[in-house]
Amino acid sequence: MALGLTYATSQTLVRMRLAAFRHALKDQSRVSWIGTGALLGLVLAGGTIWVAATGDQDLLLVALAVWMLGWVVGPLFAGGGDETLKPEYFSMLPLTPRTLSAGLLSAALAGVAPVISLLALLSLVVLGAQLSVPVALVALPVVVLQLLCFVLASRLAVAVYGVLLQVRSGAVLAAVVNAFILAFSAQGWALIAAFVSTDVQGTMASAARFAPSGWGLVAVDAAGGGDWLRVLLAVAGLAVLAVVMFAAWSTLLVRRTTASRTGRKPRRLLTGSGPRDAAAAKEVRSWTRDLLYAHRAVFAVCYGLFFCLMPLAVGWDGMLPWAGPAALVMAGSMSANLYGSDGTALWTTLMTPGSAGPDVRARQRAFLLVFGPVTVLITVLLTWWSGSSSSWPLVLSVLPALLGGAAGLVVATSVFAAVPTTDAHKRSGNPLNSGENEGETMGIVWVMLILVSLTAGPALVAALAWSWWGVPVGVASGVLAWWYLGRVAADRLEQRGPELLTLLRHGRSTTEQAKKTAALAEFPRWRRNLANFCLGFGAIPLFPQAVVPAVFKLTGNNDTKSWFLALHLDSRWRWPVITLMATLGLTMYAYGALTYLNAKKASRPDG
Amino acid sequence: MEQAFELVGLTKVFGDETAVDDLSLAVPKGSFFGMLGPNGAGKTTSLSMAVGLLRPDAGTARIFGVDVWAEPARAKARVGVLPDGLGMPERLTGREVLTYLGLLRGLPADEVSRRTTELLEVLELDHEDDKQVIGYSTGMRKKLGLAVALLHAPRLLVLDEPFEAVDPVSAATIRTILSRFIAGGGSVVMSSHVMALVEQLCDRVAVVADGKVVATGTVSEVRAGGSLEDAFVSLVGASTRGAEGLSWLSA
Repeated sequence: MALGLTYATSQTLVRMRLAAFRHALKDQSRVSWIGTGALLGLVLAGGTIWVAATGDQDLLLVALAVWMLGWVVGPLFAGGGDETLKPEYFSMLPLTPRTLSAGLLSAALAGVAPVISLLALLSLVVLGAQLSVPVALVALPVVVLQLLCFVLASRLAVAVYGVLLQVRSGAVLAAVVNAFILAFSAQGWALIAAFVSTDVQGTMASAARFAPSGWGLVAVDAAGGGDWLRVLLAVAGLAVLAVVMFAAWSTLLVRRTTASRTGRKPRRLLTGSGPRDAAAAKEVRSWTRDLLYAHRAVFAVCYGLFFCLMPLAVGWDGMLPWAGPAALVMAGSMSANLYGSDGTALWTTLMTPGSAGPDVRARQRAFLLVFGPVTVLITVLLTWWSGSSSSWPLVLSVLPALLGGAAGLVVATSVFAAVPTTDAHKRSGNPLNSGENEGETMGIVWVMLILVSLTAGPALVAALAWSWWGVPVGVASGVLAWWYLGRVAADRLEQRGPELLTLLRHGRSTTEQAKKTAALAEFPRWRRNLANFCLGFGAIPLFPQAVVPAVFKLTGNNDTKSWFLALHLDSRWRWPVITLMATLGLTMYAYGALTYLNAKKASRPDG
Repeated sequence: MEQAFELVGLTKVFGDETAVDDLSLAVPKGSFFGMLGPNGAGKTTSLSMAVGLLRPDAGTARIFGVDVWAEPARAKARVGVLPDGLGMPERLTGREVLTYLGLLRGLPADEVSRRTTELLEVLELDHEDDKQVIGYSTGMRKKLGLAVALLHAPRLLVLDEPFEAVDPVSAATIRTILSRFIAGGGSVVMSSHVMALVEQLCDRVAVVADGKVVATGTVSEVRAGGSLEDAFVSLVGASTRGAEGLSWLSA
């Protein structure tokens, strides 16, 4: 009976998931997101199988570990993983937690990502086939178990993350870990280089062999050697792990659907004497009381620190002074949807005459209060530590420019390019999931990374040319950006506040959405795909292939070449290649952005 | 008689659907005006347009003669609004929400503090003083919304479903507050589904269906001898169902 119910539930949930997927396929922009992701996944899966075909077990172990890592940390950046079917939908059905989680797990398997991972795991069968046909047959059930472990690990990670974000220490911990992972993906080459030079490749592979991601390979390998006890142990290990993760996940699901979400007791009550003070006091309380805000702040600061500290592993301290600016760029990008995340609470501002200006300025003030002192402190301490006296005028010019630039851009972007999210009091138990616009949210983060960096441009040029004269330029450009962009945002909020509220209340209406996609659809398909590709991969030529080698060249670091093309070339070709790569990256971003802008313009003839 | 609130030819089209179709209404000063209509009739949409939260495709609204869309600041200073289902500054406590919005309106700090304390006490929100709004129940949210609407002592209240999810004791409190408000010369516009409440509180009503006003006048004019409920059902052109089918419910 229980088994029959579990089967029926699973079948229904899988059908719901597939139905939702079919609807998603009707939406052009989502199709291109799914398509790009799937294509990338297929290439990686192909690579994994190719590694298996070459018979390099060590490399395959590392590759499989990376797949599992992707499953565990991926949801942290993609809005809490796939939440097409939220457990809250089913909390009123007479189902036991086990039955419901079994159903949700089956539904989780019915997606694009599991299919691609399954393809990647077929590498185990390829490996087995090289040994003998029976081993290849043994590999088949192993593949299924391993995939189950991947998906379960992902779901469990999201659930654990949900628990962590309910308490302050958890939110901070999660932020630090996330910041490390993201910084590692950009600067990990330094750590890896340090590892490789001390021959840790073998150690990494054996570590990957002990990690659960390697147990499947261990089983296949042991079967090839006829060591059936080892096969049994490895397979049993996978099975036990799956059961334990399943049990833990379903326990956390019960907690998620029954926990209350009352905020904690506030420590300092809001007081103030005028509109400006009151608005600022409210905004500061969002940063200190909302754990998502706290998470964001800690993440940005830690990212800046890790990003610039990691190169120390190869003995390069040239990036130390830049930790503060890097943290600010990240902070600006992560805070670009202030109105979106407050949702329909905007009505209180709209109904209060003359409050748009104070509200916008209050948000800027809170941003500067949260990030100003800490980035200044980091910059001063780390620049002093690096002992590079030539860096002082540079960072002290760039920092005020970035502070003002970010404070101006966050409010302007929040007003002009708000992304609707689900209202806080209507959200599900997954604190990472705040709506169905992950793609748009991610896109704005990318664009903001570049826009905020650009605000440092004038100050940097001035500082490079005239040293300390860059500081007044930086201060002036910072103040100007803060003042002007804040004013533009306040005017827009005053004039088009009702439109912003409508967007936050109802999301993009279907007709608007249709108009938008229709305008984009007027471009030929190759042009749309090319635009998405450019936006997705423009960072590669721009940052690792142009900015980092340029910084290396400028600071006279000639020891590390890693995968920086320019540094492998004859010295007279280095600058031309760096320039070429920077141009390529910027052109890719410009092309992608222009395509979208044109489409947007076409969809709104009335402006 | 001078009008407290006028809706003039308001129209809103969402896609192919006309949610509000050339809707006009006049609310005389000092009246308690009930807006009735079935689900999806366009009550919330027209009230949102009339107070300046949603831009109409055509038409406008006037609050004590001030055009909401031409002079929003002047119009909004004269009205207190309780919208339905919208968010609040979730991370503040009830007291902080009122303090923040009072100061934002430019009221002096000691006056804000006095009014806040009284409102929280009367609406029985004061014992939840250290709770953030995100932890409020739906009924508590309504009561806090009403406090926000009253805070700056406007002469017109526009309330969207003010009694929804509110417990009977609080509902009686709110009725008393609103009656005192009317007695003091204020005007109230309220939307509701609850006929008995409208019949008891309101002196004038309008029935809205499919985005149009199908009847308006004093309560006795609209109900025309019968009960308001019967008049409503026949006006919106629906027949009550539920007598046929569903036999499995009594199995």
